[in-house]
Amino acid sequence: MKDRKDDQTVSARRDFLKLSTLGVAAAGAAAAIAPAKPAEAAEPEGSGYRETAHVRTYYETARF
Amino acid sequence: MSANAGGLKHRDAAVAEEDLLRAGVYDVLAAVFRREPDSILLAELRKLQGDDTTLGRAFAALAERARTIDPTAARHEYTDLFIGLGRGELVPFASYYLTGFLHEKPLAVLRDDMARLGIERQEGVAEPEDHIASLCEMMAGLIRGRFLEPAPVRLQRAFFERHLAPWAGHFFSDVEAAKSADLYRPAGTIGRLFMEIEAAAFAMEE
Repeated sequence: MKDRKDDQTVSARRDFLKLSTLGVAAAGAAAAIAPAKPAEAAEPEGSGYRETAHVRTYYETARF
Repeated sequence: MSANAGGLKHRDAAVAEEDLLRAGVYDVLAAVFRREPDSILLAELRKLQGDDTTLGRAFAALAERARTIDPTAARHEYTDLFIGLGRGELVPFASYYLTGFLHEKPLAVLRDDMARLGIERQEGVAEPEDHIASLCEMMAGLIRGRFLEPAPVRLQRAFFERHLAPWAGHFFSDVEAAKSADLYRPAGTIGRLFMEIEAAAFAMEE
């Protein structure tokens, strides 16, 4: 079944990513240096990309 | 069979641990390559840690360089590498890497995809969107779902394969080899290794 196959590949990918990146304590420090939340930022931080409201619809139908 | 089999319905509601780690690495790359490093960035980089994997060692090396480098030297290094007089040693834009010129078709394709994804620039940003830091920032945003739910992996993969995979590995390798690079050498290593990890992980989706 499609769902089972998807779950297995998702699991393999997740395990690989954990093995590859868990040794890096980047997430904590990165949170501090991530760009300010663009919607709230008075001054644009970084390149200031933000997602607009129709993104959800796009995610549901996305095909590049 | 797995413990989270029952969580399928709500899987999109939360970002998984490994995805937060991925977004964290993209955040670091975006912060480091975005502009001249300031004292705040250097202070944050000093906190990075890594274990004895190749990626972990590169993070530890970046933290160590951030501890020892003179802040003025760090700024000059960025300028020499990416800005220069006229141009720096490297030009960190997708269009330049893929065509030899800025503002060429890769940028147009990116802008089209950004419009379809609903990602837009904030006002007042002048530089083209295909800067390496911008692309890393967009990947982190897609993974986290900065405003709405996280983007599905197939969409992250499509964006990655279209806008980063064709050139980012070459760029990061060039950073590692650049004669002006000191602080940026381990940053280049992190980028190169992480692009390999991302590509291998996305390939497992097939």
